[in-house]
Amino acid sequence: MEWGLAVAAALAVVAVMFVARPFLREPAPASDQLDELAPEERQRLALTEERDRALDALKELEFDHRTGKVSDDDYRTQVGPLRRRAAEALRTLEAGEHTPHER
Amino acid sequence: MAPLGRAALLLAFGLIVYALLAGSYAAWRKRRRLAHSAQNALLAAFPATLAASAILLIALARHDFTFAYVAQHTSHNLPLPYTLSAFWGGQEGSLLLWLVILTGYAALAVWLNRRQRELMAWTVPVFGLIAVFFAFMLCFVSSPFHQQPAPADGAGMVPSLQNPYMLAHPPMLYLGYVGLAVPFAFAMGALLSGRTDERWIVATRRWTLAAWTFLGVGQLLGAHWAYTEIGWGGYYAWDPVENAALMPWLAATAFLHSVMIQEKRGMLKVWNMVLVALAFNLSLFGTFLTRSGIINSVHSFSQSPIGAWFMGFLIFMVVFSVALIYLRLPLLRTKTRLESLVSREATFLYNNLLLVALALTILWGVLYPVLSEAVRGQTRSVSKPYYDFFLHTFGIPLLLLMGIGPLVAWRKASLRSLGKTFLIPFAVCLVTGGVLLGLGFDSSWAGLLSYTFSAFVVASIVLEFVRGRAAAGGVFRLVSRNRRRYGGYLVHAAIVLLAIGIAGSSAYQTIRENGHLRPGQSMEIAGYTATYRQPTATSPNPIGVKGPDYTGFRSQLTVTGHGESFNVDPGVNVYDAGIGPANEASIYHDPRTLGDFFATAQLVNAKTGTIDLKLYVKPLINLIWAGGFLFVFGALVAMWPDAVEQRRLAARYATGAAPAGI
Amino acid sequence: MIALSVAAALAIFVVYTALAGNGVAQLTPSTIATAKGNVLLVGKVVGPVEHVGDTLRFAVKDIGDKKPARVSVDYAGSVPSLFRTGRDISVAGVMRHGRFAATKDSLITKCPDHYAPPASSKT
Repeated sequence: MEWGLAVAAALAVVAVMFVARPFLREPAPASDQLDELAPEERQRLALTEERDRALDALKELEFDHRTGKVSDDDYRTQVGPLRRRAAEALRTLEAGEHTPHER
Repeated sequence: MAPLGRAALLLAFGLIVYALLAGSYAAWRKRRRLAHSAQNALLAAFPATLAASAILLIALARHDFTFAYVAQHTSHNLPLPYTLSAFWGGQEGSLLLWLVILTGYAALAVWLNRRQRELMAWTVPVFGLIAVFFAFMLCFVSSPFHQQPAPADGAGMVPSLQNPYMLAHPPMLYLGYVGLAVPFAFAMGALLSGRTDERWIVATRRWTLAAWTFLGVGQLLGAHWAYTEIGWGGYYAWDPVENAALMPWLAATAFLHSVMIQEKRGMLKVWNMVLVALAFNLSLFGTFLTRSGIINSVHSFSQSPIGAWFMGFLIFMVVFSVALIYLRLPLLRTKTRLESLVSREATFLYNNLLLVALALTILWGVLYPVLSEAVRGQTRSVSKPYYDFFLHTFGIPLLLLMGIGPLVAWRKASLRSLGKTFLIPFAVCLVTGGVLLGLGFDSSWAGLLSYTFSAFVVASIVLEFVRGRAAAGGVFRLVSRNRRRYGGYLVHAAIVLLAIGIAGSSAYQTIRENGHLRPGQSMEIAGYTATYRQPTATSPNPIGVKGPDYTGFRSQLTVTGHGESFNVDPGVNVYDAGIGPANEASIYHDPRTLGDFFATAQLVNAKTGTIDLKLYVKPLINLIWAGGFLFVFGALVAMWPDAVEQRRLAARYATGAAPAGI
Repeated sequence: MIALSVAAALAIFVVYTALAGNGVAQLTPSTIATAKGNVLLVGKVVGPVEHVGDTLRFAVKDIGDKKPARVSVDYAGSVPSLFRTGRDISVAGVMRHGRFAATKDSLITKCPDHYAPPASSKT
């Protein structure tokens, strides 16, 4: 069936053009480098995750304490270290932010 | 038309190969435009595959018997919905369904994460790696577009498949099976790119939850179909094909839990990689089992030609996963250790171990015939007692853990606070156990423990809601602010319903058989009396029935007992097309026990009307189906997008957009 | 700790298989002649299929191969929907006096489609 062949050919052309699009749009780009996280950015990411973990843990501890799952004693024992961890994570992050780095 | 379908598949194949090869090179050499191009190729593969699928659907709808596939699986008088469902009725079509869902998911995942260039660089080729197998099979080994001179009529569809459940069950299962490819692709992509952060988890959390939900619902639909349509008296037979879906579901359940530990504590990175690979490879294995004939299941006694191909691909993916995890092991090691054996992390860990142990014992049972053949030269198989033993040994403690987990704090729980939080649920548990023991439920220790532990879990969940509500100021606010946690509790409640339903209908069911009844005679079961009514001048018994393509009989019985009275009419349909007789079980849903009264009958003597009657009383079985609905609801709550969380994640991965789940 | 639990799970498993035996042998008509004890007979139904009172009598041959072996089966119990001549089946029982005495209600037939419904067609 000729029309079938024609449709198939048209589809193929469209597909090839879509696949080639990045090259057609930028035939001579300034940089073809795939963005990659620099080591210090990876560090920052790890620290951000650490900070979020610490903050989350604090929030959950508060919630569990309010709902009575964690006793007052347990709360007192755990909240100190958690707060310190969160503070430390925040401090390290801010320190990193003040260091200029290349993207 | 068929050549166009073939062309569309070839186009898809070409695009996928490009996505795989160009994508790998681009990720390796860090070429931005090539990576973008590979991403586009993966995106384009979906419309190409969709076009091929549309062609097959149109051919089915038009009863175009020049398509060999259409002729093999449908016939002129087959109603439209079932004709269309024949799309996945055969091997070629089900491969196409796999591919179209895979490319669809991949396209969506890629599109949602298109700005996360680095995350996607290696994920795209992994998707390509998975898809290339199916595309290759469809193009060169098992094509749905074979043509032939059109016969007068097609072969038709087996009557038991012409059932609304069969319209939903396979697509649901496939949406689940294939869905597990998404977290796998992101995980392997993360390993390949040498990343150690949680982005892949954040990006795939909702995908995993959705796939897991589809897989669960698909299994429940299948079980319900088996129960009502096939009518052998049960809903799960531990058949390899049933186990094929259960195993990845168990692994995915373990993964869903342990991923929470990685998010909260940064631990178990290696274990999570292993679990996601296990879940995906088990889902591939499940697809392979259903199609290959390697296991002597009731569904596949003979070897299918694609079996060897599938096995090769499965082995390749397993080796690929293991090798990649092993090579990246140093990156995944963390310093964080388990602080206490009595903590929520520990409970999750026990839960994981039990789930994986159960999945592996089922796997062993499924593979046993193949292994024993290879090792001893004699095929041996295991059966229900084997599976029941391990279901009890691992499943019942799991039930208990579902109640313990929510009550234990993260990191470390002191025994004193445990004592306080556990007090009420434990008391409920004891009282329930005592009452049940007194009522004689110790006929089955498995059933008794299941009920007792279920009470414990329900109590702990209710307490969580009560305590939380007080703290948050209203249940809606509570759930809305803690969707994952409280959605999870709802899912746990659904599993409890399932457990109670399963326990009731298996441990405490009553069966009466060998009942050869003449009209007028009756049979007793569990306090009911079923009477085979005498025929009268105006109404015969058994009564003959006739349908478009079958004749048969129904025996009318009146059942009385426990203050109730109802009718059942079990019988048999004999189909003209020579397919054979089909058991038509009669089920009465008993509101008193939330269970079923289940009857089947075979005609022994047509002249005297004597039937061979088999009766079951299955308490609480309808809780299984009810649990299914709660399961979906709970999963939806847990999955529901949270604007606050999205904003925070966007800020964290501040390259412009958050890694997006659905 | 993980290692301990794995060991525990394995221990349970080993104990079970030691106590419960090693599963049931699956045999074909050509291999069943000398079998002892409870086995699973797997094969294709050949006619004639007769009803003698409560008992269903039929013969079974090897699936696929053109082996001449035939086993006569005496079966009582519910007959699954898809049972007929030419169907592949499996049934549990013992060989007794050269005939296969089947266990009641153990007859399972294969679903004829490539596509496999999720449950067996047994009653």
